[in-house]
Amino acid sequence: MSYTFTILSPTDTPLFAHEFGTCRSGGDGVARFTASERALNPFILHSALDIVEEVQWGPSSSSGSAAMYLKHIDKYQNNFISCWITGANVRFLLLTRPRDEVLGLGSGAGGGARGSLAGGRAGLGGNAGGVYNPTSPATEEAVKNFFVDVYEAWVKTIMNPFFHVGNGDVVKSPVFRARVAAAAKKYL
Amino acid sequence: MTPLQDATPKKPPNYPANLEASMILPKQRASPASSLAGLPYRRSNPSLHKLFESTASISGSRPSSGTATPTPSVVSGSVFSPGSRQNGTGTPGSLPPGLSDEHRNLIQRAFVPHVAVLADADTEELIRGKGLEGGFLQLLRPFGESVPGKVTIRDSVGASKSYEDFGVRFVDVNEGSGAGRGAELRIDTANREGGRASSSSLRPRRTGGDVAHIEELVDRHLQYSEFNTQDMVSDYLNQGNPTAPSEGTSSPFYTLYLRRLLSGMPMVPHETFAHPVAGVIAISSRSKNPIEEFRKLYNRQHDGDLRLPQWAENDFLRYYVLIHDEENGDIAKSNQTFDAMKRHFGLHCHLLRLKSQQCIPSDDDSVRLPTCEWMSASEELAEIQKRETVDDMTDPAPYLPDSDITAIRTFVRELVAQSVIPNMERNVATWNEQVLARRRGLSGRFMSLSKRWTPFGSSRNSSSPTIGSSNSNYDSLQGFYRPDAPEAQMRKLADYCFMLRDWKLALSTYDILRTDFNNDKAWRHYAGAAEMAAMSALLSPAPLSSKTRMENIDTWIEVASYSYTDRQRSAAPYYALRTLALGLELLRLRSSSAADDAARWASRILETGLVGAIGNALFTERISACYAVRTGVGSLRMGSRRRKAALWSVMAAETWFQLDKALQAEKCLDTALRLYGVNIEHGEGGAVKLPFDQMQTFIDDLRQQILGLRLQNRGFDDAGEEGETREDGLGVEVEEATETFEKSPRGHRKSLIGAAAPLIDVGGPRSPLLERERRLGADEGKAEGFE
Repeated sequence: MSYTFTILSPTDTPLFAHEFGTCRSGGDGVARFTASERALNPFILHSALDIVEEVQWGPSSSSGSAAMYLKHIDKYQNNFISCWITGANVRFLLLTRPRDEVLGLGSGAGGGARGSLAGGRAGLGGNAGGVYNPTSPATEEAVKNFFVDVYEAWVKTIMNPFFHVGNGDVVKSPVFRARVAAAAKKYL
Repeated sequence: MTPLQDATPKKPPNYPANLEASMILPKQRASPASSLAGLPYRRSNPSLHKLFESTASISGSRPSSGTATPTPSVVSGSVFSPGSRQNGTGTPGSLPPGLSDEHRNLIQRAFVPHVAVLADADTEELIRGKGLEGGFLQLLRPFGESVPGKVTIRDSVGASKSYEDFGVRFVDVNEGSGAGRGAELRIDTANREGGRASSSSLRPRRTGGDVAHIEELVDRHLQYSEFNTQDMVSDYLNQGNPTAPSEGTSSPFYTLYLRRLLSGMPMVPHETFAHPVAGVIAISSRSKNPIEEFRKLYNRQHDGDLRLPQWAENDFLRYYVLIHDEENGDIAKSNQTFDAMKRHFGLHCHLLRLKSQQCIPSDDDSVRLPTCEWMSASEELAEIQKRETVDDMTDPAPYLPDSDITAIRTFVRELVAQSVIPNMERNVATWNEQVLARRRGLSGRFMSLSKRWTPFGSSRNSSSPTIGSSNSNYDSLQGFYRPDAPEAQMRKLADYCFMLRDWKLALSTYDILRTDFNNDKAWRHYAGAAEMAAMSALLSPAPLSSKTRMENIDTWIEVASYSYTDRQRSAAPYYALRTLALGLELLRLRSSSAADDAARWASRILETGLVGAIGNALFTERISACYAVRTGVGSLRMGSRRRKAALWSVMAAETWFQLDKALQAEKCLDTALRLYGVNIEHGEGGAVKLPFDQMQTFIDDLRQQILGLRLQNRGFDDAGEEGETREDGLGVEVEEATETFEKSPRGHRKSLIGAAAPLIDVGGPRSPLLERERRLGADEGKAEGFE
């Protein structure tokens, strides 16, 4: 299970990117993307913005206020994308690439297959590889917790008066990165 | 492009102007056509070029006839897609701008009545004397493809409509009967046919339905375009006015793919499109006893060796033709015979007057026999191979005198307008009254209900393949309905309606059939009915609400593609591909909100692996086109799928690059960049960068590699060096194969052109390619400076 987390400004500029693997079930927290997958990830994330906009302005699923957590919104081959949108229209995108045998990650019986909490323990359905259900409640909850933590850190970062999101300032703060990594370790 | 220009050698920098000319071409790496590519790639000769014309022209689109069949937009579920308020049901301009009706017309023209052709030995000899090896069928085939003038069809409610583009397919009587001969009455005949036939018969098959052949053919076309049309010359000329292809026109290769997918439909039990609607029986005026000859041929076809397989209706309309030899025959005698024919056979007769003399191109009023547009992939492949090996400058296509052409045109028009169509209309009316109405009525519903619910009846037994044990008409052992069973007749009725473009009746009939076939567990038939139900719903000009679309059409396409592939062991991937491809094309035309569905079906094609390498690239490109249709609303273009489209274009570019098709790859990359809003052609100063740095590097790398590939394809390495020095690390390798041309009297001509060539490609500041490369290099340098 590998993840790419990206924050995009309202003008589609990437402000922050972080790549990590799962820490659950013996994962070492290192992303296992092949070179070609890594090259494609930005394209996939960028293309998901179309769907983000569609969902964002579409009929609201929650009553009253619009939800910030848009849940799983898009899929490209084996890459699943979840989104969180802030009040200032900054998009948090999380790309999830479930591990499969091709990537040669530890073939520990069963354990490696349900790599993480977000890997959908609820939806495992018996067989080891390839079954990843992005809409299972456990997955959604885990991703949500991750986003909430990151959002908290993000709000603290943009309160910095010297940081202008609107100008497309890239987040350089090591503290922020550490917080994201911690949240990832904790929930994903 | 003139043949001369086309024959310009591919930039050998120091072209040896002697007779032993050698040409350096890159060897194809793992190309799917490598089985065929044992042949040398010759520079085009004009006759070969004719074959590739369909894709060599820039735009493959034909003028759209939007007025007859408008495609209205749809009430959508999304907030961004405008509803169908602004256009009524029949406005011609309801196609979104930039969309062409091209594929819709293609689909309409693909499903046309088939007419079996049978001629006696005298006739065949007469026609061979004119230089047509294929005999009478070859003579007729091109003319059936579009019937001259308008054809008026009356539909089931009595409304008449005229169509310009109606046609029929003339098919060989042997093909149809041969396919179902012997033990091959099983359902999965269609799939194995390709392999078996290639070993058994030397003749190329007129029956299509073989995806591998289609891929191979399109690959040939692609290679031709890679090696022949990307001359410096045309590149240089195009540079002044960069053509920005609109989103509506698709690549000619994709159109070719679709066309070949739909041509030469195999004759199978579960659909009747390829079953003959009428049969032409022709004899020549040389025959001693014409009426007797007709009887003999008729008997051969009706119960003799040319009989159709058991599951096909054998009592179709017969049309009798007397061929009069203008030069050797006696017209008075022919007229007499013709009168006798009319007395015997009634109205369905024709006297066709042909000249028996062979005609050569230099004759007065000689006309080239048109090329068949709807030949099957294997046929076209065979044709290409033939012409490549012949290496002849002359065009081998036969020529006919003008009067013959006119006579044949008249004959075809009369056949279609006065016999085939009225006959089909009559059949539709009869079946509608006798079969469909009964099934639809109260008793029919009871029948189908009782069939389903009898306690001792079919449902338990139908799993065991005992024929006639249940009251179902389906012969589950052999997998067909007898042609006189109500189900088979209804299917025929629906297919006739479909071919006559009466979508409404076709849709309702297919819908009834769907449930019947489902109850009978006739999966192949079920899939066929679901497929055609979806197609007729999408083709009909009536507006579709997004709800019906979601509920019905999606399910139909889904079950059809599923039943064609997954059920039982008799998978029919060809039909599944047809379902998905047609569904995606028609959905794409529906409106912007259907574009998502279209793209979904297209990616289904990729996921299920229905296509090979070439098809993969073509359909990836198509997904991009599907997303690009959706433009969004307002000045911000909210709800568009611009970024999705761009992603798929990049994917397509990469796929093409891996297939060594530089030209296509570059085209896709340009499309992607246009969609991303980056115009690198004029991007000197304020170039818009892609949002992600990684994206920019990826695209730049890809661009460089494609340029390198183009240079290799063109076979010049020294001039390409400056572009390639960067790529050494990227592992692009050139394999070269040196091929020697045999000594030929045309060597002299070559040397003349060879001498002229270096003038064109000095490779200096005039070459747009190098210029672009340099500019790219500069951009790169700039980018690195910033970082």
